[in-house]
Amino acid sequence: MNTKGIKLWEENAVPKHRIQWCPGCGDFGVLAALKQALTELEVMPHELLLVGGIGCSGQIRNYLNGNAFHGTHGGALAYGLGAKMANPDLKVICLAGDGDTFAIGVENFVHVCRRDPDMVLLVMNNGVYGLTKGQDSPTAGLGQPDERGSREEHPPMVDALLLALASEATFVAQSFSGDVKHTARMIVEAIQHPGFAFINDFSPCVTYNRFNTYDWFRERVEHVPEDHDPSDRDAAWRLVREFARRGKIPLGVVYRNPRPKRPQRRLPLWEDELSGVDLEPVLATYR
Amino acid sequence: MGPEGEAVRVNHVKLLVGGVQLRDGVTTVTDILGKIFTRAGLFAVAMEKGYASTIYGAHQFDPMLVTEEPPVSYGDPEVDVLVALDYDSNPDAPEQPNRDTVLRHGGKLRDGGVLVYDSSTGEIPTGALEARGIQVFPIPARRIAQSELKREIVKNVVMTGALFRLLQFDSDEAYLRQLLEERFLRKGREVVDLNLQAARRGRQEVERVLEANGYQLPVRLEPRPGRHRAVYISGNECLGLGAIAGGVRFYAGYPITPASSILEFMEQWLPKYGGRALQGQNERESIRAALGAALAGVRSMVGSSGPGISLKVEEFGVSGATETPVIVVDAQRAGPSTGMPTRPEQGDLNLVIGGGHGDFPRIVLAPGTVEECYTLMLEACELSDKYQCPVFFLTDLNLSEGKKTVLEEVFRPPQVVRHGIVREEDVRTKPYRRFEITPSGISPRSVPGTPGAIFKASGAEHDEFGFVSIDPRKRAAMVEKRMRKLDTYLQEDWKPPQVFGSVQGNPVMVGWGNTRPVLEEARLLLQRRGVPVALVHFTHVFPLHRRKLEALFADAGPVVVVEQNFSGQFADLLQRELRIATRRVNKYNGVPLYPTEVAEAVLQALQREGAVVRIGGDSQPVPVEVGRNEHEGD
Repeated sequence: MNTKGIKLWEENAVPKHRIQWCPGCGDFGVLAALKQALTELEVMPHELLLVGGIGCSGQIRNYLNGNAFHGTHGGALAYGLGAKMANPDLKVICLAGDGDTFAIGVENFVHVCRRDPDMVLLVMNNGVYGLTKGQDSPTAGLGQPDERGSREEHPPMVDALLLALASEATFVAQSFSGDVKHTARMIVEAIQHPGFAFINDFSPCVTYNRFNTYDWFRERVEHVPEDHDPSDRDAAWRLVREFARRGKIPLGVVYRNPRPKRPQRRLPLWEDELSGVDLEPVLATYR
Repeated sequence: MGPEGEAVRVNHVKLLVGGVQLRDGVTTVTDILGKIFTRAGLFAVAMEKGYASTIYGAHQFDPMLVTEEPPVSYGDPEVDVLVALDYDSNPDAPEQPNRDTVLRHGGKLRDGGVLVYDSSTGEIPTGALEARGIQVFPIPARRIAQSELKREIVKNVVMTGALFRLLQFDSDEAYLRQLLEERFLRKGREVVDLNLQAARRGRQEVERVLEANGYQLPVRLEPRPGRHRAVYISGNECLGLGAIAGGVRFYAGYPITPASSILEFMEQWLPKYGGRALQGQNERESIRAALGAALAGVRSMVGSSGPGISLKVEEFGVSGATETPVIVVDAQRAGPSTGMPTRPEQGDLNLVIGGGHGDFPRIVLAPGTVEECYTLMLEACELSDKYQCPVFFLTDLNLSEGKKTVLEEVFRPPQVVRHGIVREEDVRTKPYRRFEITPSGISPRSVPGTPGAIFKASGAEHDEFGFVSIDPRKRAAMVEKRMRKLDTYLQEDWKPPQVFGSVQGNPVMVGWGNTRPVLEEARLLLQRRGVPVALVHFTHVFPLHRRKLEALFADAGPVVVVEQNFSGQFADLLQRELRIATRRVNKYNGVPLYPTEVAEAVLQALQREGAVVRIGGDSQPVPVEVGRNEHEGD
């Protein structure tokens, strides 16, 4: 491992001993994986924009080097979209939780999948709202029988991968933060994907989700089989359904099918690019 | 007074064109008229839009004042010429909608005025109008188009030809021919000829009625070509131009009346200036994307109307806390809730000065005219960049969608100044503090991608580097720093209100935003009646410079705040900031303010302290006695 490179990611960041996650939190694994992936890809911190969601997971933006933004609950993807549209040279990584992404931010998730901006969303999925002490999120109930009372208060869980596929995402992957090396691999591939790349990372909440523990995941995770064709959307859908039927959780790239795109340029922002524009073409249409 | 003996009025005509929405193409006609009158060197103002929030079928009308010199305002509702494009789709059920335009607006026709209507499906009884000396021209425009010209679509050209004859305008067809050639020549010469023939038929029909009745036309429009360069343009288009000239290169909007035309304008033009326009999937995506683009260093703007502005409120705080600038255009319409989407109001002031939890700096601007939609937008661009906070830009439906002749000298593109952006060389020697505590409250901003100037921006309270902090001292210092930006704004950039007349010892009419032309004209009316009222009009609406305004109002007589909302939102603000008692004139029925009714209402308000005069219905002010506010001060 490149320790000098890793050290770079600890500058402009909250010191390690001040990190406010519970001991054993799955998000530590994601943080380590992010640093590994960014080091491997030789991304420079000043080129990076980390957009954090609201919740424990969104704090990750301040735990490593790079520019960061943090606004409203559910908003990360839309801020990222605007930043990426303004400056395609930025590496934009949105880092949010499952409540942020699939409850209050689902309006952004669905449509940003369709828009396919060249950025990454990594969801630290633990099935609970940890920061507010453990309420159910839309992904609550993973692996549990669907017998928890009324449907209105406890609807069946959102399947993040199927939602992404249905929303026309072009890169859908899954990881488990208990496997840092694999998570880092997924982040590398997501950053390299020329379009919107979604990683659903299972990141256990050791305080409020005592059901989906590290051991629970380790018993169930299985890598996507070698012969899976990730460019085949039907195959991706079938794979997710088959794993679910077997009570297993796929890890790896489930779907990858980049769309052809026109290259975009940074929008004008400096004085010499903006001053004294010629309004004549517009005015001519109003004469 | 009848037309007999009355001189022909030259180059001062108020028209009203009415018909069935979409079917009759009301604004297609008025847009053509406005463009042609503008080319003829005249001034056209069509800013009293009357339409409904449906696609098809409702009654629509569009008044237009045409003058030789720039008019003070669009004038009173009275019209000289009424043009009714509507016809019966079912002649066996003649009650609707054939007569809508005549029934609804016949009362606005001045004695001795002109009515022209489509008589294809039968004549309308107009005896009562004729008794007032009104000249009535039944023109079977649709029938002519259908049976003679075999193209129903040219029925409005028949009416336009008739109208030009009634206005004694364009007798050699030069203006109309030029416009038709621009639009239709690529479809073939025969299309142009067909349209010209339609216009000629309209003229002939008018001639026929003139001869039969011996009418003497009461108005005439004479071209004054070559006096100046001018465009016929709407407020939304002007503010879009202002944004482009002021350096905005990212715009996001979600479809909503009356702000959609900003999105359309930006989608058409921003890419040609290197920018991008985004139709958000919802109101929140729009402003969030704009904040993201602004974070990346690009000047960004969103536009919406009341309901959309309400949905964006949470992001105003994000803009304030993260010090990410954004221009928010609020093309106001009558609320609350869906309200009246196609009717004007000034009801969103409290929303934009108070919307959002917690305290954060914001600036509210409100242009008074279509021209100021351009010039004040240039200011909005600079202010948002300099103060790194939300800047609101309040128009209303009529200012946004209404069109008028604007002299091209207004559209001077400025030198754009980027404020306080740090470059790589600025941050080599000391650590970069994005949210540095400064005397002005303004901190050095960087564009992500600048080596050495990495920053963390956060809606969570933070320290100077942007790291989350709830340390009480740091929190207090950061709140104070942000709010200090408003002191700096008031010192360096706040513009005092425009004052018309002398405030000293005189009654003062106060207004803000889009009502200025009407208030100016109301003031002139009052002066003519010997009431020496002054007008104080604000475009920099919030925050207010207390000391300067206290000086301004120190020797003033009674203060009457005129605005288009129920409660008097600006009057409340003025009362709170200056601790002066205000009297109020309010109108909230969805009809724009008119000079004569404002003058009457102000006179009533001057009769007693604490007066609230509510203008209801179409014309007559209704005085309502209310108690004085408890927080009023003295």
